[in-house]
Amino acid sequence: MHLTRRHLLTYSSAAAGAAALAGCGFTRSSDDSTGSRTLTFTTWGTESELAGFRSAIDSFEKANPGTSVQLNAVPYEQMFTNVDAQIQAGNAPDVFRVPYYSFGAYAGAGQLLDLTDHLDSGFSDRFTPQAWAAVQNGGSPFGVPHHTDTSVILYNKQALETAGIDAVPTALDEAWTWDQFDEVARRLRRSLPDDKFPFAYNWQGNGVTRWLSWLFEADGRFLEDDLLTPAIDSDAGRAAVEFTQRFFPDRLVPPNSSVKATTYAADLWYGETVAMTFGGAFLVPDTEATVDFEWGATYSPRNVRAGGDFGGNALVATRDADPELVAAFFDHVTQAEQMRQFCAGASLLPTRADLVEGGIEFAVRPELSPVFVGQASTVQAQDSGQVASPSMASIITVLQDQLEAAFVGGQGTEATIRGLASGIGEATAG
Amino acid sequence: MRQAARVEARAAYAFVAPTALLLGLFVFLPLAWAVVISFQSTDGFGQGAWIGLDNYARLLGDSRFWRASLNTLVFTVVVTPLSIGLGLAAALLLDAALPARPLFRTVLILPMAVSGVATALVGLLFFDENTGVLNSILASFGLSEPAWQSDGPWAFASVVLVTLWWRVGFNMLIYLTALQGTDPQLHESAMLDGASWVQRLRHVTIPALRPATFFLVIINVIYSFQVFDLVFVLTGGGPEDSTSVLVTYAYEQGFTQRDQGYAAAVGMVLLVATLAFTTLQWRLNRGRDGEA
Repeated sequence: MHLTRRHLLTYSSAAAGAAALAGCGFTRSSDDSTGSRTLTFTTWGTESELAGFRSAIDSFEKANPGTSVQLNAVPYEQMFTNVDAQIQAGNAPDVFRVPYYSFGAYAGAGQLLDLTDHLDSGFSDRFTPQAWAAVQNGGSPFGVPHHTDTSVILYNKQALETAGIDAVPTALDEAWTWDQFDEVARRLRRSLPDDKFPFAYNWQGNGVTRWLSWLFEADGRFLEDDLLTPAIDSDAGRAAVEFTQRFFPDRLVPPNSSVKATTYAADLWYGETVAMTFGGAFLVPDTEATVDFEWGATYSPRNVRAGGDFGGNALVATRDADPELVAAFFDHVTQAEQMRQFCAGASLLPTRADLVEGGIEFAVRPELSPVFVGQASTVQAQDSGQVASPSMASIITVLQDQLEAAFVGGQGTEATIRGLASGIGEATAG
Repeated sequence: MRQAARVEARAAYAFVAPTALLLGLFVFLPLAWAVVISFQSTDGFGQGAWIGLDNYARLLGDSRFWRASLNTLVFTVVVTPLSIGLGLAAALLLDAALPARPLFRTVLILPMAVSGVATALVGLLFFDENTGVLNSILASFGLSEPAWQSDGPWAFASVVLVTLWWRVGFNMLIYLTALQGTDPQLHESAMLDGASWVQRLRHVTIPALRPATFFLVIINVIYSFQVFDLVFVLTGGGPEDSTSVLVTYAYEQGFTQRDQGYAAAVGMVLLVATLAFTTLQWRLNRGRDGEA
């Protein structure tokens, strides 16, 4: 056949279009012509996290001949708009990574694979109760808790010494009480120049769920056990709002570090604008590489009890994924050795009870590992269970609006509690 | 003759078809879809529930929507004349015998080559109230340092200033092209008649630039109505919604809260406002041309 220029253009355009569509992720494979079985796995991650996932995938493929896992690493900013669009278009990845606070939205909307009949009996026993509670929806597991993280206080040793703070708590039961923490912050305020601040709290963006740590420390809740009834209108709720609200007028935190700020607490810490920051273990490698001052870590303050945010991410499968292959993959990546390697390399905390009990050593600043692991042990299953609410996306917006109004808008405690209670009620009513 | 016209028409349709197809597929179809979604309650998963005009009725009582609308309007009213005026001033300067004109043109046009997100990140380096360049400079002169991120009006001002930095180069480029296309004999005649620089600017240059101005007003207003990336990265709409605009509000509703029906309704309001303004401007301009 004579190939004209027009034919060449037509055929090459068609071929390029097909290749482009394939590259955009519009194709999906579970079984190929050779009979091998494939899982598509979409995640975001730091270099260390992605290296951990690649290593786990390699060992899974070696342990399960004929299977493969296609890793699709995307930027965090695009992760969930991509996944949502793919679910809507019927081309969802088989497996994806999801923060616990977003898990409920997918599970509640019926988009995830119910793993009840596909996981071995006793599978849940390998995890801490709070981790297992974070992947439940309607009493069934819709994912596996892959890792967690929780906030502790990272502090600049020189700044604290200058303020006359010679000792920081070195054991969980010696953590500063709210009053002691308040005193530390005020001493720092007096010793720091006007443009420096005692601390920053990491509640910016979706990190607003970390404000809940104050609520939990006051022994409060934001949802009752039914995950529908608001429970924030309480003495604990008032205490948490009142205590955190004072940070702003008393200049204990930078004015541009409120919940809707675009400046993150970590950046204020790296830039030495603050003497202390609340941050997760994932900050350890970056802090070590970025700052040139001596720094340490201590436990978050406690009030009625110690508490913490249940950060981190679960692995979930979409409802049309191959359940047997998904279960095998989830079983593999949550084995002790896989989880230890991943968490140590990426500075994240394990969700397996045996690893929490036996301890884990981060690759960077391993001496700080017990602080993070100890703080994570203060999270209770009832705390993480509330964050797994299907209405969490709307509740996050309520928290952002009301806390922003309280912190920088001068809204009083009572009005804030009323706003939180009614907003959470509307959110859970759908 | 008729045969030739038919061939010509077929050729014309063939040339138009790819563009029409792409427009239909990627503009008009999604637009129609958005209209349908705006009448639904949907989180994007599965079939939405048809709720008629409820999303639009909800807009009426939503104070955050009205705040975003007001901010969008104020942003448009401030940014459009300022960016066009500064663009015209820069074009007049660079059209004159200014030394190092290529360098100045490059400096002004350079921001156009940078994405909105990158521009906003540069803006953050400049306007960060703790470590930003601007406050460091002000402090070194002993001047007070504005709270660019935690005070509403200053945050709004930072968005406007970064936008001007980004947009003036584009406006300058269009005006410069129009200026260089103006018949020099008009200016020579006016000079011979004894017209001053200001008189020539008012009676010769500005009327000659009317088509360019018409184009720039439309483009700048549409841009201002649709501003998103700069606000999203620079201020996130805060503090306390003081820089929230319609598109950031729609984004928040659609992608953070997954209330996609309501977000589509906000988008429809934006579309109608943009169409209404463009139609009005078109008619006004046509009237003026008719008088001329």
